[in-house]
Amino acid sequence: MIALGGKMIPCYTVQRNLACIQRTVGGVHWTSSCRPAPLLTASPVCALIDDKISIRGHFLPPRCPVTVCAQMQSDDGDLWEAFAHFNTNLDGTVNLTRDPSVGGSYLGCEPMGLLWGLQPAPGAREGLRLRKKKVETPYVMLMSLLKGHVSPSERPSTELAAVTAERWYMAPGVRRIEIRQKGVVGTLFLPPGPGPFPAMLDLWGMGGGLVEYRSALFASRGYASFSLAYIGHKDLPGPQNRINVGDPYFKSAFQLLQDHPQVYPDRIGIIGLSFGVYLTLRLANHSDIKPSCLICINGPAGSTIKLRDADDRTEQMENDQKYWTYDDQGNVSFRAVSLPANLSPESKVKLEHLTCPLMYIVGEDDLSASSIENANLIEETLSATGKSQLFTRLSYPGAGHLIEPPYTPNSRVSLWSVKPQKLATLWGGHLAPHAAAQEDSWKKILEFMETNLRH
Amino acid sequence: MDMKQHCVKLSVQPSRGLVDEKFTVLVQNLLPGFQLTIHALHQCEDGHSWEAFAHYTANATSIVNVSQDPSLGGTYSGVEPMGLLWSLRPVPGSKTGLRLRKMNVQTPMGVTISVYQGHQKEGFLDQVLLASVVVERWYMAPGVRRVPITEGRLTATLFLPSGPGPFPGLLDLWGWGGKLVEYRAALLASHGIASMALDYLTPKETGRMVDNDYFETAYRVLEQHPQILGSRIAMLGLSFGAGVTLRMAVYSKGLKLSCAVCINGSHVQPIDGPLEQIMTYFNKNVEKTRFDEDNQLICRDLMLPIPTDPSLKVDVGRLQCPLLLVVGEDDQNWPTYESAMDMREMMERAGNSHLLTVLSYKNAGHLIQPPFTPFTRASTFKSVTIPPFTMMALWGGELVAHSRTQEDAWRKTLVFLRENLYGDMKPGALFSNL
Repeated sequence: MIALGGKMIPCYTVQRNLACIQRTVGGVHWTSSCRPAPLLTASPVCALIDDKISIRGHFLPPRCPVTVCAQMQSDDGDLWEAFAHFNTNLDGTVNLTRDPSVGGSYLGCEPMGLLWGLQPAPGAREGLRLRKKKVETPYVMLMSLLKGHVSPSERPSTELAAVTAERWYMAPGVRRIEIRQKGVVGTLFLPPGPGPFPAMLDLWGMGGGLVEYRSALFASRGYASFSLAYIGHKDLPGPQNRINVGDPYFKSAFQLLQDHPQVYPDRIGIIGLSFGVYLTLRLANHSDIKPSCLICINGPAGSTIKLRDADDRTEQMENDQKYWTYDDQGNVSFRAVSLPANLSPESKVKLEHLTCPLMYIVGEDDLSASSIENANLIEETLSATGKSQLFTRLSYPGAGHLIEPPYTPNSRVSLWSVKPQKLATLWGGHLAPHAAAQEDSWKKILEFMETNLRH
Repeated sequence: MDMKQHCVKLSVQPSRGLVDEKFTVLVQNLLPGFQLTIHALHQCEDGHSWEAFAHYTANATSIVNVSQDPSLGGTYSGVEPMGLLWSLRPVPGSKTGLRLRKMNVQTPMGVTISVYQGHQKEGFLDQVLLASVVVERWYMAPGVRRVPITEGRLTATLFLPSGPGPFPGLLDLWGWGGKLVEYRAALLASHGIASMALDYLTPKETGRMVDNDYFETAYRVLEQHPQILGSRIAMLGLSFGAGVTLRMAVYSKGLKLSCAVCINGSHVQPIDGPLEQIMTYFNKNVEKTRFDEDNQLICRDLMLPIPTDPSLKVDVGRLQCPLLLVVGEDDQNWPTYESAMDMREMMERAGNSHLLTVLSYKNAGHLIQPPFTPFTRASTFKSVTIPPFTMMALWGGELVAHSRTQEDAWRKTLVFLRENLYGDMKPGALFSNL
């Protein structure tokens, strides 16, 4: 009921009157003093990074252009955003699980497109890559419903509704424990509950530092997980641009996990991305290390760096440079460095001792590592020793090097800071296929872990 | 049979949710025929522990899904997706008369869900724990802003939804217990309605009870707020708050409500004179209250029989906005059902019954709260009268029926509010089941 000229009349009558006025003057009636703003909902509103969310707009005029946009600030303070253009349904709703985007950061029906389609906002620093450093806090996503087919920069004048959602790497009850023991540098994540738990050793690439988010997510899914640093960390010995640890270091890390009272010593897997693949294979090759399974993502079966069997400084990585290639923007591709022909023969891991299943994940557009070739090499090696039943390959067309947990954006290029000079490195991967690869591979990784670590 | 601990996988999705959001509890990798107990534990703000538990037996699929499989016993039975929350009760050995209420809405309610081997009934701390997860239940969605109101004499907190607005507004009133109870307003704001929790029984000035102008001030704060649509303001009241809502909706010149929701209240009150008169009226009839065999106080007869004297009832025939009445038919504290019938009759005679919607629930008691709130049939109650008195109030209701009621009534209340505050208004009863 509203008061019109002092008289109380039912609002639907007023609506009809307004509709008459609309027909006369044309245009779509969005908001007025009579009708409040439309509604945007996200469900679940607090989710884990690998959970899907359902984003919907309600109480909109039918068959009208709207934009849904998402904005998020990284831990470094950079703004990332994505947007998609829709036309509302006859019932005045838009539903990202049902409706196709007709323009924006992605096209077609992609329920999670606003997440994996995030890009640095205009004016942001160059060469960014989205990586969560502080896993104990969520990403806070502000999602807005805008009038018309517009870009996020027009949000102030077109915003109809908004909703805030949180995206977490850590489930409630997950415990984060910094490990600095016996020279080993890492972070252990334990699931809630009494334990003991099956576990993963989590290895990343030459970017270095301590990357915790995948481990945090494994713990949120019931596995103890240990992120290990081996290069580019202040608590590791020697210059930060080199690997100054060898086989004993990685064995200590594995044993640390085995000895942990809340870990099942005979239910530990190893996952490696990029150079982490080589470390994974090398570690598993030791006869006294018996992982339950291995997961290798886009990495080499050998190395141009000579890793010592003692903890010692490795040879300079500049030797690799002869294999670097550049595109016409001056971005470097490291791909050829890990071509089997370029790997030192004695470094190639002999997989004869392997007794556990191995899953190799290939991004076919990987511009940083020769993933296809290395997958072939591993497969051939295992076949030759009658172990092909241990090998599983997942291969994704259009996916790049950085196959990470799902619903996070891929960077085709980003600034690479480990090397002496500032370089932008090519990772590869096209937006939509890479997102699909992350979603599918993550699901398969968890299934593989379930089969090999729980049963 | 023994279950290997490394196999058992317990997951609750979502692990962080709003208090009215459903979750799925899944236990996987069990052996067929395996017997287990799923247990929920919550420590409330005043330190008391609440628990719920249910017995399940894994079938051939080796999975137990609480949303699909029946509980064979425990604090609830049958297929009850949210039974682990609404059947929470004080652990053995607790004080009597407890009631679970979250006063700090800026932190979540943490519930530990665990799986134990076998069908256990007690002594959970000594049992074999197979798995455990923590679930957070929030009254405030991310982005909702909590704004303490400092205007005038008001004791109030405003909750604004996230986003630019403008939002419809709502005044949220509780009952006789007083205190500033924020959780329902926080939850309503999480659903897009700017809601003000208003305490009107513990006024800042001593001695005097508030009157109409107090509510008009609160209304004006909403109306004048830059992010609130002044023309779309509702009022929602439980218990005594429902009576106040009706009074304001009909008689206050300063309030123009888009709609009103009254949960387990009554229109019976002296309408001439100040609000304080109501207290006097109740005190006069206090000998009509009685105790049941457990010494629990039943207050519903205070206002019975429903008076015929028009000066003792809010004239709902003059109501000009849609009204939703939520009735717990087993309400032992207020004569809600009888009042609702009388109101319907008054409105039919006056010709405005198209504005009325009545939701009436068998075996539901007085405290109809947001969904999955643990059921309390009776609890210690301290009134705000002077002198205050503490007694064990019988609220009424039966566990399962009341819990279903909370879920259904909340959903329909949200639909009612949204229809009247957001979209086109449909006159008439939306969900009448009478």
